[in-house]
Amino acid sequence: MNNFMRVAAIKIVSLLLVLFCVSFLTFLLYYYAPGDKALAIANARYIGEGSASAELVEQIRLETGIDRPLFVQFYYWAQDIIQLDFGVSLISQEPVDEIFVSQLWETMELALSALLLGMSVAIPLSLISVWKPKSFIDRFAIALSSIGAAIPSYWLGLIFIFVFAANLQWLPAYGTGSLSHLILPASTLGLWVLSSQTRLIRSFLLEASTAPFLEALKIRGVGSKELFCRHIVRHAFVPFVTMLGLELAFLLEGAVIVEVVFARGGIGSLLVHSVMGRDFPIIQCIVLFSAVTYVTINSAVEIFQWFMNPVSQQR
Amino acid sequence: MNVSSFNHSTFFKSFFSFSLQTKTILKKHYFIFSIFTLFAGAILFGFILTPYDPVETDFLNRLSSPSWQNWFGTDQMGRDIATRILYGAGWSVGLALIVSTTGAVIGTIVGLLAGSLGRFVDGFCMRVTDSFFAFPELIAAIVITGVLGPNTVNMVIALILVSWMRFARLVRALTDDVKQQDYVLQAKLNKIPYILILTRHYIPNIVLSVVVVWTSSWSRTILSISGLSFLGFGVQPPQAEWGAMLLDGKPYMLTAPHVMVFPGLAVLITVLTLNLMGDHLRDHLQSLEK
Repeated sequence: MNNFMRVAAIKIVSLLLVLFCVSFLTFLLYYYAPGDKALAIANARYIGEGSASAELVEQIRLETGIDRPLFVQFYYWAQDIIQLDFGVSLISQEPVDEIFVSQLWETMELALSALLLGMSVAIPLSLISVWKPKSFIDRFAIALSSIGAAIPSYWLGLIFIFVFAANLQWLPAYGTGSLSHLILPASTLGLWVLSSQTRLIRSFLLEASTAPFLEALKIRGVGSKELFCRHIVRHAFVPFVTMLGLELAFLLEGAVIVEVVFARGGIGSLLVHSVMGRDFPIIQCIVLFSAVTYVTINSAVEIFQWFMNPVSQQR
Repeated sequence: MNVSSFNHSTFFKSFFSFSLQTKTILKKHYFIFSIFTLFAGAILFGFILTPYDPVETDFLNRLSSPSWQNWFGTDQMGRDIATRILYGAGWSVGLALIVSTTGAVIGTIVGLLAGSLGRFVDGFCMRVTDSFFAFPELIAAIVITGVLGPNTVNMVIALILVSWMRFARLVRALTDDVKQQDYVLQAKLNKIPYILILTRHYIPNIVLSVVVVWTSSWSRTILSISGLSFLGFGVQPPQAEWGAMLLDGKPYMLTAPHVMVFPGLAVLITVLTLNLMGDHLRDHLQSLEK
């Protein structure tokens, strides 16, 4: 267990280092963004369309410390961020965390249902495909995973809207609310999950089935069914959990385009709108959130892998 | 092996064996490579095949369905969609080629430095790589292009910034393996200059793996470029980029579905071809290792 603490400590230190770099990069992006930020704030806050007076801009410049050196600004910025204070939106003047959390639920709803949809097909499909190689289902799984990886999700979304919403009129095309609004976006994203996961789970299973100890078990007379269920599937389980963790982080990325295509709320469309409106507090919040989620999941997965692997614990 | 054997002729010999390898790859997987060549030819010489202009408008002939004159129909401004797809390939595929190649070069240099020099350089390069890796590709690309200003150049910069890390990690791991080999140790003990060890041992050992990842990075970048353009952050609409064409045709898709079907199919088929080519290369690489 002592060993575990040491590995975890190293992981956490390097995690903190990376988190620091991540937040610095996020800040750099804001710092080097072209345009006068004080003027932008003044325009957004006090005057609808026209330009603000020079005095007002100067006042905001002093107030927000925009003309200070890079590291001083970063210091004050980081102080707020550590307390999870992302400030207020430049456009709506509402606190960023309130906007963010309300949108996060919509994205989570989409991402989790896509994950559920995709996984519930991907797992049986890849299991059958490896259990019966070169069968029809195996070929189907291979074709599906290569085509699914190449389909642009925005195009698939448009096709779904065209077929199921416009022509057949089974489901609503745009907006959020009921379960029927969720079906098309979730299956667009779900197909992406399905194809990537089928490919991955299949390769994990194939890799597990080349292990040399399987040959020994076969010679000892272990049946092929038991071999498959007890040994191959079990060995493919660790990389599978690893990928599942990372998949959650990738889903956030996939959700961006799907949310825009189906005009749903959520982090993705919030990001696109904020970038268009140059609403920096919201952009920073979303970018930091996605980066921190990814890094944290990644580290957790690495520790999990270490935990599951008896070899590394003996060292 | 002594110092004098490191002359130009051996250098060229290693290059010759590399080109021989390429020949066997082409012979074995001729089908996918001939499709690839066909596409490349269509992209490079497509403008000869088509009598139309990709940007010039013809309002008398707008939104007409696929016919013998316009194979894929015309869009809302009467422009021939087939022509626009041919020209658009230059944007989608060409820009993606620039992005993935630049990313590959940057990533390979970082990875080589991290893997072949000492622990300090390694730690520094890899923490930087980790930090860049933390940002999801598409989100980072949207934010960078959006903040710098949505246009083609900024999109290319953004995509390079988010794509080099994959190569850096791969090359670092491969270089680290090569570093442990006896022949590298011996070369070091013989005081062979670092640059020669780099070109004679490290680079030939990593090239094929980098090429495999490069093809997959190329196809991913095509998806990213068209996705960004579809969101309005990339190539701007009058130009015939595939994602921009979809964005353009979206309002008309209910009455004239061909406006959106064909650009999407172009992305799908191109990315599929590149992915399959990458798979064949990887298979070849694995058969070499065995």
